[in-house]
Formats: sequence, structure tokens, C-alpha cells
Amino acid sequence: MIELKNVRWAYQEGDTAVIDGLDLRIRRGETVVVCGPSGSGKSSALRLMNGLIPHFHDGKLEGEVRVAGEPITDLAQVGRVTGTVLQHPRRQFFTDTIDTELAFALENFGTPPERIRERVREVVAEFRLGELDGRLRELSGGQQQRVACAAAVTHGPPTLLLDEPTSNLSPQGIADLTAVLRHLRERGTTLVIAEHRLHYLRELADRIVVMQDGRVAKEWSRDEFPRLTEEMMREEGLRSLDAPKRIHVAPASGHGPSVQPAKTRPEDTESTGEAGGATAVAPAAGREAAGGGVVLRGIRCAFRGRPVLDITEAHLPAGVITAVTGPNGAGKTTLARVLAGLQRHSGEVLLDGRTMSRSRRQRETAIVMQDVQRQLFTDSVTAELRLGAVPEQAGHAATVLADLDLDRFDERHPLSLSGGQQQRLVVATARLSGRRVVIFDEPSSGVDRRHLQSMTRTMRDVAEGGAVVLLISHDADLLALAADRELRLRPIR
Amino acid sequence: MSGTSPQLDTTALGVTVPGPPEGAVSRRTLDPRTAVAILLAASITIMAPGGLLFVPAALVAGMLLAIAERAWRRVLALPLAAATAAAVAYLLPLAAPWPVLGIVGVMGGFSLRLVAVAGIAAHLIETMPPTRFTAALRSMRVPHAFTVSGSVLLRFVPTILAEARAVRDAMRLRGLGGWLDMLRHPVRSIEYFTVPLIASSLRSAEDLSASALLRGLGSQPHPTSMHPPRFGPADVVAVIVVAALVTATLLWEAGR
Repeated sequence: MIELKNVRWAYQEGDTAVIDGLDLRIRRGETVVVCGPSGSGKSSALRLMNGLIPHFHDGKLEGEVRVAGEPITDLAQVGRVTGTVLQHPRRQFFTDTIDTELAFALENFGTPPERIRERVREVVAEFRLGELDGRLRELSGGQQQRVACAAAVTHGPPTLLLDEPTSNLSPQGIADLTAVLRHLRERGTTLVIAEHRLHYLRELADRIVVMQDGRVAKEWSRDEFPRLTEEMMREEGLRSLDAPKRIHVAPASGHGPSVQPAKTRPEDTESTGEAGGATAVAPAAGREAAGGGVVLRGIRCAFRGRPVLDITEAHLPAGVITAVTGPNGAGKTTLARVLAGLQRHSGEVLLDGRTMSRSRRQRETAIVMQDVQRQLFTDSVTAELRLGAVPEQAGHAATVLADLDLDRFDERHPLSLSGGQQQRLVVATARLSGRRVVIFDEPSSGVDRRHLQSMTRTMRDVAEGGAVVLLISHDADLLALAADRELRLRPIR
Repeated sequence: MSGTSPQLDTTALGVTVPGPPEGAVSRRTLDPRTAVAILLAASITIMAPGGLLFVPAALVAGMLLAIAERAWRRVLALPLAAATAAAVAYLLPLAAPWPVLGIVGVMGGFSLRLVAVAGIAAHLIETMPPTRFTAALRSMRVPHAFTVSGSVLLRFVPTILAEARAVRDAMRLRGLGGWLDMLRHPVRSIEYFTVPLIASSLRSAEDLSASALLRGLGSQPHPTSMHPPRFGPADVVAVIVVAALVTATLLWEAGR
């Protein structure tokens, strides 16, 4: 189905080859997981298969690439025999409704209108998209990826390629995507998935291919999976093949309509919810308030009249990492924006017992955003670190860079770094900002095992420096490593 | 169900609410060609000399379109904005006849014309999915190069606006967004704003164009459309209403 023979590839802007001597054969109907540490070339391997290399990205290609028996001549040709799903569900949509998105490829390939309508109806039924309501941008991440998969196979390609499809998904979103992949596999679609998270693929994969330095370093077939130990995975720098255990972290003290009471889970009865939450909270709030940190009181936010966040009271202590979890739409990002003074709200925010105005909070808060390109302002790594660093922290610059694996890049332009490196740079600036409140918003999307650990160390350092550290994350691997407290939010009905 | 049935097994998905699938294009929406024609006609007449005469007609048209779209906020905002601009243009110079206010008054007059056209443009942007817009342009025999880039532009404007807001937030948190800073180092402030904006927009653009090209955008000389544009009752109503508005304006002018 797909054949890569002794392929070598270097991006035009990069001096070293990202793919070097890659040999890989994928058979029809097979499900293959391509994994490996950051920079091992797994995304590039996928781009070779859908022709984005060399028809979209510039660089130098050697070796042979064949898809469905043919060499790739242009993107539309390979687009007819492969479908592609990318990391960010929302960015790849061209339209705003499910049916137009499904029709998009068929329209472009010149399919007759009545055939398009018929096929769109079939796919809506097959993927049960009729049960999703509203515009694409209003769906949850998992639902969006379900639509993205459906839109990628509407024109009937025998192969689906997925590039880190879960990196922005919640556990529920991952379950949603897993069901879609199982369905595609059962109907005979060839699946190639480049991924860091492996646990959800254990039951699906026929083969796991581990890449290192641009070539295949190891291959494990399905019957070898049971023998793979945690130790072996760690050696390869891979994330665990077992589903992360539900972490048991002390609940942060807080209550209100947006806060999921600590002792009840959604499956428990509703009536015990309020009581459980209140008893868990009251004594702790009084005791911890003395230790410093942030106290939220009567925080309410609404968008267009619809309430999105309602916290009666919550305490985020200084010196520890508080994880903010909960499903999409529970108000996690809104809470971060309230804390940072970027969001209008009613109620008050206190730091160490003193009320803080919104502009004051903007000066006391640092955020590591999900899309870090938005926060890189200068023309070199050193300049970026100097911008907004406090003098007493500036001495730590070298240590922080080394710890985050960035010490060789100090004169590079921040935008020339890889995605993971850019993210670690923003983490470094947050570390050196000396701010009292530091918020990490999904810092681990697309991060491998080793960098998960260095990310955790940095957050720990910031917390030990006396800051209030908030970690917004879906990533169970990261939560297990880093969270000291958990503030679990729920959508307001 | 899995295995035998061709349907996706969603029991694991946690979504069970049945709802109607996204239906065909509603009969209530205008054909893109009608909307574009009304917008063009309104812009040309209103921006031409003496075009002020047609401002009330365009405002009424914009409000009617907003009502059809159920955009209640715009139904109210349009006349309010127009009234403000008109007050600045005509009442302010009367109240205080200073030369500086004269300039402000002229600008008010321009804003009034702009508001009148913007009401109709807003309807087009809000209701027209990029693919339908392209289909309409294609059926008007607009060259390929314009239809593809036009639809990409229509798709991308909201993305850039969202990125700009996020960059502004990031600047405020790094202490770069203050007015004082902006006045003291205007060039540097612009750089701090534009560099990340371009970088993050490019990244989204890369994903979008990769996904669009792989799904064949621009690959065929004759792409098709799931719902080929067709004039319907809504277009007839729109044309009658526009004709009535124009006639009323001309009669009123003749009667003065």
C-alpha cells in the first residue's frame, strides 16, 4: 500500500536530515503506529506518505516513495488515495458546518452534485454525525476530530493518515476518536498514526514502529505487545502503553456551581453532590488562607448571557502545583483568563489576602499559552529571556535553558525553533518572569516522555519559588507527574 | 453492532442526543449572487456623488436582512450607528461652527455612508459559507484564481482576528501593551504585535492550506457543488423589496 525505500529528507531551512535512511512498508488494511521521541522524524514520515513532503514543504528528497503503487506526482493525486487528519481539529476545517465540510473534497474533485449529496448522507449516518448539533467550532475537540476523520474519508480513500490526533483531546475525546479508528479499521481502511500517546492504540495497532534519528529503530508486532514492559518503553523515550491510572490527588478547596465536588464523581447520585463538596471544603479553606496564595470569591463569568464559570469560593495555595481539570466547556481557560486579569467578571480575586485589580493581576501573572507562537516577540532566544525577566532571576537563565534542553540555541531566532523547543522557551520565560501567579495551559501537547519530566521540574521550581502555579491539562501522564492539588471543574447547566 | 453493521459504534462516545443532521441550504437564505449584487449596487450608488439620498434605503435593507437572519443586535445597532454618524455630520457643525468640527462633520458623513453599506456586507459575511460563495462566483464565470483565493480569504479573516486578540493578551501579560509604551516606542510596539501575529497566523494557514490542497482544492478546472446555486423565493422577495425601496426614495426626492 505504502512503500518508503531508503528515503532521506532535509528541510530547506534545516541543515541536518530529519529523515535519514528510512525503510518502511505498510500493507493494505494494516494499522501502524509510528512513534518516537520529539525530533525523531515521525511527523515527517507521515508527510512523506501524503506528499506534503516534497510538494508542500521545501527541501531535498532522496529515495523512493510509493503510495498505492504509484510515485507521488502532486498533492491532489495522492489526496485521492489518502485522507489526512492533523493535530488541531479546528484549523483543518475549511467550512463551518458538518455537511459542507464532508462535501468539500468531493466538490473539489468534481463529483456530480447528486452523488455528493448521497455520499454525504451515507457518511453522516456511518459516523453518526447527525447526533452532533451546531457549528463545527462549537463542537468538543473529540467531536471535531470525529468530523475531521469523516471528512478525510468521504471521498473513499483506502488509507487514513493521522498526525498526533489526540494531542489536544480530553480523555473523553480520546475515547471518541478510538471508537472512530476501530470502526475504520474494521471496514478495512489502512491506518497510519504518528503519536506520543500510545495507550489508546494498544488494542488497535497491528504494529508499532519506533523511530530514532530519522529511521526505524525498532518494530513491535501485535503479539509482542504483551511482553513490552514499562522499562522498555522508558528506554526508548516512549510514553506508557498502559492507560494512565486515575490519579489520586488532594482536591483543592473550592465550591460553587462550576466546581465538581471532590468526593462525588459524575456517576454518583446528584443529591449527595452539594453536601460532599461543602464538607470537603470548608475547614481547608480557612486553614490554607493563612499560608498565602490566591483566593477567588464569587467569581461569575458569562458569554452572551450564557454563564460559563461560577465559583463561589476557591483557594489556590502558593508553593504547590494546582491542576485544573474537567471536560471541554467547563470553564478552565476562562478561569485562567480571570486570574490573569484578561477577562471581565464579577466577584473578587485576592492574592495573599489583598484584593487585586485586573490590571494589577496582568502584571503579576505569566501564562504559557497553548499556541506559543503568539508569545514570542523578539529576534533571539537570549533577547526573549531578557524581555520581562526580573533581575534576581536573570542569573538562573543559563541553568533554566540547560534544564529545558535549549542551551545550544541562545542566538537562534525563536521562530526558527521546532514547536516543542518554542514551547520550552516560553516555559523558560515564565520561569524567569518572577511573577506570583504562573499558569500553564496544556503545556504537554506533542511532548515526549523525557520533556514531560523536564517540564514538570520547571513547574516544580516555579512553585518552590513561592508562586501560585496552575496547570490546565487533559494529559493524564503529566497530571500523574506534576499535580499536587486538583480543582475539577464541570460545565454549568 | 460493531463488526456487522457499517455504522460507527458510538456507545463509547458518551454522545447520545439525536438531532437533525445539518440540512441542506435553507430556503430562507439568499442566493450568494443576489447578496453580492445587492451589496455591489448599494456600494456604488451610495459612494457615488449624491449617494447620500440612498442611505435610508440601504439602512432599511440592511435591517431587513438582519431581521431575516435573526441578528437582533444588528437590527438595533445599525440605526443607532447611523443616527450617531448623522448627528456628528449635521447637528454638531450647527451647534458649534468651528473649523475643526467641520472636519469631524465631514468624517461623520463618510461614516454614515459606510455604516449603510456595512449593514448589507455584514449579512453577506455572516451567512455565506466560503464554499457557497465560491460556487456562486464560479457560476458567474469568475476566473479560478479569484474564486480560490477569495474563498480562502473569507475563511481566514476570522482566524486572523482571533489570533490578533490572543497576541494582544500575551503582550499585556508581558507588560508590552500599555498606551505609554506604544507612544514612546511606536515602531517596536508594532513589531512586538505583528511578528507573533504573522507567525501564529502562518502556522494556522499552513494547516489549513495543507488540508485543503490534500482534499483537492484548486485541482480541477470544473469543481462541482453539493447544492448548485439556484435562485429561490427569497431572492424574488429581496429583489421586490429593493425595487420598492429605490422607487420610494426616487418618489420622495421628486416630491420635495
